[in-house]
Amino acid sequence: MSELALQVENLVKVYEPRGLRLRGRMPVRAVDGLSFEVQRGQIFGLLGPNGAGKTTTLKVLNTLIRPTSGGASVLGYDVVAQPLDVRRNISVVIQESAAELFLSTLDNLLTFARFHSVPVAEARSRAEKVMDLFQLREDAARKVQDLSGGFRRRVQVAKVFMVDTPVVFMDEFSTGMDPILKRAVMSLLREEAARGRTFVLTTQILSEAEELCDDILIMNKGKQVARGDLHALKLLSENVYDVSLTFEKLPEDIEQLLAPLAPRRFSVSGNNVEFSVKADEARVLALVAELAKRERVLRVEVSGASLEDIFVELMK
Amino acid sequence: MTAISAMLYREGKIRVTNLTFIFWDLFYPLGYLLVFGVMMNYMVGTQFPLSSVDYNSFFLAGVLGMASFGIASNTSWSFFLDRDNGIFYEMLTYPLSRAEYLLGKVLFTVFIALLQTVITLGLGALALRIPLRFDLLPLLLLVVAGGTAGWFFFYAIFALWTRRNDVFNSVTSVFYFVFLFASSMFYPLEPLPRWFRAAALANPVTWHVDLMRYLTIGYGNPRTIALESAAFAVFCVVSFVVAVRFLQEQE
Repeated sequence: MSELALQVENLVKVYEPRGLRLRGRMPVRAVDGLSFEVQRGQIFGLLGPNGAGKTTTLKVLNTLIRPTSGGASVLGYDVVAQPLDVRRNISVVIQESAAELFLSTLDNLLTFARFHSVPVAEARSRAEKVMDLFQLREDAARKVQDLSGGFRRRVQVAKVFMVDTPVVFMDEFSTGMDPILKRAVMSLLREEAARGRTFVLTTQILSEAEELCDDILIMNKGKQVARGDLHALKLLSENVYDVSLTFEKLPEDIEQLLAPLAPRRFSVSGNNVEFSVKADEARVLALVAELAKRERVLRVEVSGASLEDIFVELMK
Repeated sequence: MTAISAMLYREGKIRVTNLTFIFWDLFYPLGYLLVFGVMMNYMVGTQFPLSSVDYNSFFLAGVLGMASFGIASNTSWSFFLDRDNGIFYEMLTYPLSRAEYLLGKVLFTVFIALLQTVITLGLGALALRIPLRFDLLPLLLLVVAGGTAGWFFFYAIFALWTRRNDVFNSVTSVFYFVFLFASSMFYPLEPLPRWFRAAALANPVTWHVDLMRYLTIGYGNPRTIALESAAFAVFCVVSFVVAVRFLQEQE
């Protein structure tokens, strides 16, 4: 088996308009010559704005759609020539809500395990653990159609922990999850990755990617715009600083004071002001000192760029 | 084989844990036989235009056809729902091929139809004293199985093609009305107007029901039945080919 979990080479996917209603429309080039590799045991983040091509890339890797050209493989198995081998090694949380509405929570878990050939006794024991982790025990016997949207999503995500597939794809996995559960799932992802499982995440919640991913690929309009670990990506946004200040009394001309530095983000909440600027470290500190002369500063925080800043910078 | 057995397990779980499905699949057609059929038998009595059989015997094949048609329609509805609620796309990432997905669905549908047939035949023979052609029973079961599969494939085309729930429900309701009533399911065609007979003879439900009528009570012209059987076989094969094509195109 390949040492690489994923290998994508010059991948292109073009959606041709089909049907009478779409006749005359231009084809959509959703993925445009994308190439990347992912090592086993990594948590890999695929980031990008809406329509960047993340979900299409995942669909190709999940064997849901065929690429127009180029190639992709999962653990060395070609997604077009060996789709069943690929599917034996993956589990997927698709972006859309997907659960067996007419089955109970427990039966959802057991049915999923059966498709992945997990022996019945083992599946039952795993289901107990997974239901505890996802706080689904009280709803074990309830049909999923009677659960709220958030709980349905829980069931959907819980299923991938019923099996040991070496590669897991999660498209916007945390949608509808409360913060406590999200923490627990993120911690579980890290544990499983440490055991050698590979996770491929797409998310729009950049703090999630920042916290979880060993390796991040940012794409836009079907192409790669940046790639690397968080440290490497932050270098792309050198001299971008996030500043947060709490004043005893907010200076009235705060916006004018910041204007020369052209802040990328700027928000005021009560006496608290937050902004992001691209400037030399010395200039930023001088600005903070200048502001402190105007009004008494109760709290000051200057940090390097967040993934969100990098993302915004790259999308410009 | 594991994938197909998992599909059968899934379909079984869904059907067994939902009483409404059991009612619609197994008992609804029986209600037709025992209420509608028996009452019609009382009403038409000796006036029934077929001198050799009574209405109960005539209608038995209609009930089997209705069950076959209805069970296939129910499965295709679940097919539509699978797609509508996203699980269909998730299942396409499971270790099973699209052919296995379709085969699992159809095998389960056929199993339910056969179960329903055995119950209906048993009740017809015991409670209504319908003189069955037991020698043709294996062939009848084969026709029920093949016909149900054919109807499932036919419905699957619309389940895969239609994107909206209201459209799918409207289409299936129209199918129910047109296919069932413009056929030989409820009444013999001989005394009916020529235009209606022509429409009914072009209806695959008529082909299926006439064949089953011959196999249950021996009623029908063997030459006509042979032609109808051939037409129905073609209908099933074409439905299968088109359904598979639609399934392969799902993205």
